[in-house]
Parts: sequence; structure tokens; C-alpha cells
Amino acid sequence: MTSPSERRLRKEFLELIKNPIPGVIIDGEKIEKNINEWNVTIIGAEGTIYQGETFELQFLFNDKYPFDSPSVVFIGKNIPEHSHIYSNGHICLSILSQDWTPALSVGAVCLSIRSMLSSATKKERPPDDLIYTKTCSKNPKKTKWFFHDDNV
Amino acid sequence: MKIKVKSWTSVAWWKWIANDENCGICRMAFENCCPDCSFAGDDCPLVWGHCSHVFHMHCICKWLNSQLNQQLCPMCRQTWRFNDR
Repeated sequence: MTSPSERRLRKEFLELIKNPIPGVIIDGEKIEKNINEWNVTIIGAEGTIYQGETFELQFLFNDKYPFDSPSVVFIGKNIPEHSHIYSNGHICLSILSQDWTPALSVGAVCLSIRSMLSSATKKERPPDDLIYTKTCSKNPKKTKWFFHDDNV
Repeated sequence: MKIKVKSWTSVAWWKWIANDENCGICRMAFENCCPDCSFAGDDCPLVWGHCSHVFHMHCICKWLNSQLNQQLCPMCRQTWRFNDR
């Protein structure tokens, strides 16, 4: 018997195959094997400082999804250099923690991250990158995030 | 015993009158039940918020019960208030 969270993820998966989001590529084969773990490739938008770059996002879902937010981090060698993205791949984005709602989805999160990248004008790490990456938990959902800059 | 349906005649059909096709939380069609139910319709009703957004009652209650501080509509983030119609 498929759980409610898996049924919802399967719906999202089919929807993204039917109506793909520009600049967002999902690894369908991997998802078919394990619906609770998605790898998504984000392509830097044309005309932005990330043009020509590709980035890898990892989504992990628990059985409370969509009532509980997924864990979303950048993985691999190329972690975008951005003032809200730590060098360990953790992302400071309010919809991934306190502003999550069950109406959001993988697609909505990808769009939000892509637009966060697109609005950046300078490649830089968060000011507390060194201390944060040394002290944080592996799971970004365990971090108590403070949001101070909504412009980027 | 195997039964083969040769023909059938429908006498009535029903549909929720909502300003959307699917529940924004579980993404199931409103004419289907939420993932926790087996039967659609009166057993798995819809509820409306003051903000005009509609959800399966079970879905929105599950969300509101999981919120500690404030109870917001998942779609528009306004404070959720049930609309008795």
C-alpha cells in the first residue's frame, strides 16, 4: 500500500514529466527507484551570473510530506556561490523552513531557488559560512534559520 | 461467481461546486477523497475558508493541527477561518 506522501509525490512526478519546468531537470530513473529521494538539476538562467552553469539539488522527503517540508540541499562539486547558499550546500530560504506550506511542491521550490539565483548580482558566500559549515547539523531542517534579507 | 456488466444506466451524478478542481494539499480531485479516506462525498467533505480557498476537510485539519503558532491558509497565508456556508 502506497502512503499518502508517496501518492502525492507520484502525482508531482507525473505532472513534472507532463509539464516540465524550464531549466529544471528531474532524474526520473532515480525517482522510480525511490520516490522519497529526488535529484534535480538546475540550469543557471540565461543572462544571469550563473548562465552556463548547472547545479545539483537533492530533495529528501519523509512520510509527513507535504505537511512537513522536504530537506533540500545542493550536492556535488558545483555549489552555487550565492549569499544565501553555504559551501556545504545548505540553503537559507524561508519556504524550506518556517514559511513552508503543503500547497508548495518540488516544482515551486525549484522555481524559487532558480529565481533566487537569477536575482543575484555578485558571487559570494554568506558572511557566516565558515562558522556555520563547521557547526551545523548534516540535516538543514535542524538549523534554526534567521532571515534578514528578502531582496536577494 | 463472475459477473459481467453488459450495460448500465446512470440516474444521477454529483460534483462539488468549488473554484478549483483539485485539493491544493493532497492534489487529488475534489470528487476523489483525501489520501486517508476510502469514500468520497459526505464521508470526506470539502471546507471553505474566509479567503475563499477550498480543501478536503481532513487535509486542512491535518495542516492546522500541525501548526503551533499561527494557522494560515496554505494557498494565500492569510489567517485561516472556516467559512460556514
